[in-house]
Amino acid sequence: MQHMRMTGTTFIGDAKPVSTVKPRGRPILPALVPFPIACFAGAFVTDLMYWRTAEVLWERFSIWLITIGMILGGVAVIAGLIDVALGKRFRTLGWPHAVGYVLALALSLLNAFVHSRDAYTAVVPTGVTLSGLVVIILLVTGWAGSVLVYRHRKGVAL
Amino acid sequence: MRAFEFTRSPKRSRVAVLLAAISVLALAGCDDNGGDPALQVGANPPLPAVQQYLMPPIRIAKAVGWGKDETPTVPQGLQVHALATGLEHPRSLYVLPNGDVLVVESNGPKAPIFRPKDIITGWVQWFAGAKVASANRITLLRDTNGDGIPEVRTVFLDHLNSPFGVALVGNDLYVANTDAIVRYPYQEGQTSITAPGTKLTDLPGGPIDHHWTKSMVASPDGSKLYVGVGSNSNITENGIGAEYERAAIWEVDRASGAHRIFASGTRNPTGLAWEPETHKLWTIVNERDEIGPDLVPDYLTSVKDGGFYGWPYSYFGQHLDPRVQPQRPDLVAKAIVPDYALSSHVAPLGVAMYNGTELPANYRGGAFVGEHGSWDRTPLNGYKVVFVPFSHGRPSDPAEDVVTGFLDANNHARGRPVGLAIDRTGGLLIADDVGNTVWRVSSARPGSAPKPAS
Repeated sequence: MQHMRMTGTTFIGDAKPVSTVKPRGRPILPALVPFPIACFAGAFVTDLMYWRTAEVLWERFSIWLITIGMILGGVAVIAGLIDVALGKRFRTLGWPHAVGYVLALALSLLNAFVHSRDAYTAVVPTGVTLSGLVVIILLVTGWAGSVLVYRHRKGVAL
Repeated sequence: MRAFEFTRSPKRSRVAVLLAAISVLALAGCDDNGGDPALQVGANPPLPAVQQYLMPPIRIAKAVGWGKDETPTVPQGLQVHALATGLEHPRSLYVLPNGDVLVVESNGPKAPIFRPKDIITGWVQWFAGAKVASANRITLLRDTNGDGIPEVRTVFLDHLNSPFGVALVGNDLYVANTDAIVRYPYQEGQTSITAPGTKLTDLPGGPIDHHWTKSMVASPDGSKLYVGVGSNSNITENGIGAEYERAAIWEVDRASGAHRIFASGTRNPTGLAWEPETHKLWTIVNERDEIGPDLVPDYLTSVKDGGFYGWPYSYFGQHLDPRVQPQRPDLVAKAIVPDYALSSHVAPLGVAMYNGTELPANYRGGAFVGEHGSWDRTPLNGYKVVFVPFSHGRPSDPAEDVVTGFLDANNHARGRPVGLAIDRTGGLLIADDVGNTVWRVSSARPGSAPKPAS
């Protein structure tokens, strides 16, 4: 909730757009970023459920969540590149966000292969470890990025 | 159990978990190079350690079909010719008492998609020529003048449901569809059956139906039918609940349709045959995939009443499969080691015990096995018909190649052998579901080479 409040009230003085291309509207990227994160976090939860129950339906949820997360993540990366190409500026994206996001996508690709194994070793131990690692990376870099943007006013354009 | 301890212990540092995960991934590289396949033929095959893949290798032979006048290769003293061509995915064969040959033209039902992987698997099967729609038909071939070329070719039975096994007892002809055994009235000499069938019993079919073929033989006295029912997954990835009464050999009472599990733990028993000397039931079993190019060898084994052969918990006796949880130590303890390994991933899909006189005497009493061929290892394995010599009712010597040449020089598949049968005069019949041909192997005699089928 704190995050939401800060987004609404913080003004970042030195990030004012000075672009030769007049950006039309807001960048697309921020609207797409949360979806893959929700998928990967969900996959960690369903992995934990599979680890506890060995019920295959949870493993199927996991692999679809990871796959959809990667597809949406890929779309978000493309959208971000288009935003940059069009000269749109980001108010709330620090470099830790970007690094964390790309790292999470890369690990999730590995994780998709691990989750495509058959039965128990699709998840335990490597799959659930990777899913947890992705969530940790997203949390840590998300937090670090927020600190940069809001506390130190280092919100930079990509 | 090590996996459980590993994940449950919160005291272990995160770094250790990370390192473990990375090392597992590194080890899971794409090593698809198996050892010499011949080493894993016979009793007591060497079994390497389990290997877990990041991306399972796919090494399937592209289907190209037979060129004009191309045939498989047989050793000196034998000859081979096409009994019938232009069939639709012939999978199994049955010879009626009057010599008529039934060709079961069949394929599996549409596979459901549970995971993204299933979409990829579908593409691979299409590439290998295994994706054609099921003809759901049995074609009859009749050779009236004994020249090895059938003059009569009729649709014997139509509108079946992924049929595979056929058995005749008296005037009752049984067809094992993927979901039921159906009985039809049959009179000797009939070339087609139009009478409606009567269901004897349901068999485990859809909605998943991962291994769809139902092999079948009648007991020598005709009172029972034995049915090979394959598992509903590679290794329980569809849940253990989907495996109810599967990966087993059923004994079905012919009078009542009631059944019991005669043997279990047989992942995919695709062929059944009676050993002529001891009159014991033998089967060929397709073992599990994706734990290495040399795991797990498919096998030929005698079937013990009440015997458990390992799947899914273990293989070749007590070798545990780490992909199966929860484990069943009680079952693993009594898992029987199969009699004879056929090498890994050869995919035996047809077996015939030879009791005829047409072929040379050294083939008498032994077993022919049709090996459909591997899709996940290098070098390719199978894609041939082998002969396992028997002595006193047991395999006695290394298997020998009998019919080869299904692969061309570029490792493309001209054909793939499936079901086998011995015809009335003792020739070996081979269904080829990629070449869409039935081949007949007989002894070479000067001047006896039949003209190719038109």
